[in-house]
Amino acid sequence: MSFNPSLTARLRIGFLVLFALLLIVSLLGVGRLFQIRVDYENDITRYFQLELQSERLRSAFILEQAAARPATAHQTPSQAELDQAAASFSAAATDARKETADDPVLTTKLNQLVAAESAWRKVVAEPLIHEHVPPPPVDRRLTSAVTNSGEELANDTRAARDSARDNARADTRNTTILVAAGLGGALLAALLLFSGLINSMRAPLGRLVEGARRLAGGDLRTRVEVGGPVEIATLGRAFNEMANSLERDARERDRVERMKDDFVLTVSHELRTPVTVVKGFAEMLTAQRKSLNTRQFEAAEVIAESAGQLQKMINDLLDLARSDAGKLRIEPESTPVRPLAQRIGRQMRPNFESKDQRFTVSVEKDLPDIQADAGRIGQVLANLLTNANKYAPEGSEVQLAATQVGDEVEFAVSDTGPGLDQDQLDHVFDRFWRADSSESQSVGGTGLGLAIAKSLVELHGGAISANSSPGEGATFRFVLPIAKDGRPKQKTPADRTKAGAAG
Amino acid sequence: MTRLLVADDSETVLLMLQRRLEMEGYEVVTATDGVEALDRLRELGSKEPDVILLDAMMPHKSGTEVLEEIRGKGSKIPVVMISAHLDAQEPERMRKLGANDVVPKPFEWEDLIEVIEELANGDTSGD
Repeated sequence: MSFNPSLTARLRIGFLVLFALLLIVSLLGVGRLFQIRVDYENDITRYFQLELQSERLRSAFILEQAAARPATAHQTPSQAELDQAAASFSAAATDARKETADDPVLTTKLNQLVAAESAWRKVVAEPLIHEHVPPPPVDRRLTSAVTNSGEELANDTRAARDSARDNARADTRNTTILVAAGLGGALLAALLLFSGLINSMRAPLGRLVEGARRLAGGDLRTRVEVGGPVEIATLGRAFNEMANSLERDARERDRVERMKDDFVLTVSHELRTPVTVVKGFAEMLTAQRKSLNTRQFEAAEVIAESAGQLQKMINDLLDLARSDAGKLRIEPESTPVRPLAQRIGRQMRPNFESKDQRFTVSVEKDLPDIQADAGRIGQVLANLLTNANKYAPEGSEVQLAATQVGDEVEFAVSDTGPGLDQDQLDHVFDRFWRADSSESQSVGGTGLGLAIAKSLVELHGGAISANSSPGEGATFRFVLPIAKDGRPKQKTPADRTKAGAAG
Repeated sequence: MTRLLVADDSETVLLMLQRRLEMEGYEVVTATDGVEALDRLRELGSKEPDVILLDAMMPHKSGTEVLEEIRGKGSKIPVVMISAHLDAQEPERMRKLGANDVVPKPFEWEDLIEVIEELANGDTSGD
């Protein structure tokens, strides 16, 4: 579309056209009504004048008659009086003629009157002055001809005045109807114009709304078709620019995220070797207790323990970095639950005994094998048990239970410790989050254990959850799928793959 | 005395392994890359090691290549691969190449000793 005026221009054009139409209709209507009024007044005045003149004509004729035929016997007919009355009649006729100039009917009537009067004067009045009495029938005929003509003129004038009034009335009504129709038409035109305006915006605005929804829904490749009035088209272009910028930002964020993952992956990996060496030598020293004095032994023990913590932390970070980078791999295979639970139980038992906690492992009888990476699930269990061990006070109870729930095996680690409130439960799987910072110092740990446990369980296609209410202990549950073959399948190397979980 | 050939490209790790293994009572021969590991093996001749520990990733010649070469020559010496284990399929691949066991890095010392003892005492099945 080559002609695409802006919204403002469209509105301006719309208003201009509407205003012009209204103005034209109003001016024409008012002008016409004014003209009708003026014409009517002119007509009325003229007919009034004409009536006045016809009255003068009648009076003049009466005077003429009086001059020619005195009422009493001692008066004589007077030529002078007749001439005077005739002159008055003639003057009135001249004045009347001015008013009838454009009316042929009235002109004819006037001419007839004038003709009748002059015939009467010649045949009746003049002889009477000179004492020649005309024959009475002729006298009567000519006299009544003048009188009748005068009355006809007066009647026709009244009729013409009435008809002029009727015409003016009809014209006024017709003009009013026409003006009303014109105004209605102009409003209709305006309505069509504005509805066209709204329609021209509806489609592009609809596309914009749809686009904004898609964008909000996360589809950053969303672009809208630019169209409609200039303003809407500009809005469309601005929308697309915004989408471009959002997409660019998202790509940049992804790139930075990847860089961060790679960085953490590389750093953790590089840190591992020196920590392994420190830990190895420190452990070697602690194994040579006899050749060390007490302080040297104590130092070696602290170095070994700290190196162990550092190694655990690096491994946790590495696991999370791999998980973020999608590089955390597991090797799920058919794994019997009982040996796995017992191995982790054995491994963790010293920790519980040192805090005087009662620790029980219960595995449901005839539990089917799970489809899992034994090393990784061992790591998850160790992380959950380590938490229970750390947060539950001395003398409390901790239980590891495995039961079948539908097509899955559920592992539950529960303790009779202080428990967690709702706010804590909401964050318990967050990275670096630890229950109550004032206690965390004494508890220690990186705050990564549960985040890793969640990643690992989800990588297995399982789900993990935490249940607790303050003062009533906490239970962490996760479910894993049952192995497809479901039969026990022994595989020792997998059992050994502990991935340093017991560091 | 059980003789071990240990190859790792990190000298500190190698020294740590050597000292600790010696403390455990093993005779330890060391190499800092794959080429050196094969040289040491040749030098030892008939006094071949009871167990070989190979770091999977080493410059010049990787542990995996050394493993392939040893098995290619028909040698049956038990080999333990020590791997950073970045890929979940790696242990299985190494077993197929003839590794008797694969120990992920980092390892617990007790696990490593257990693996060496099993292999040194004639259990070469890997299972």
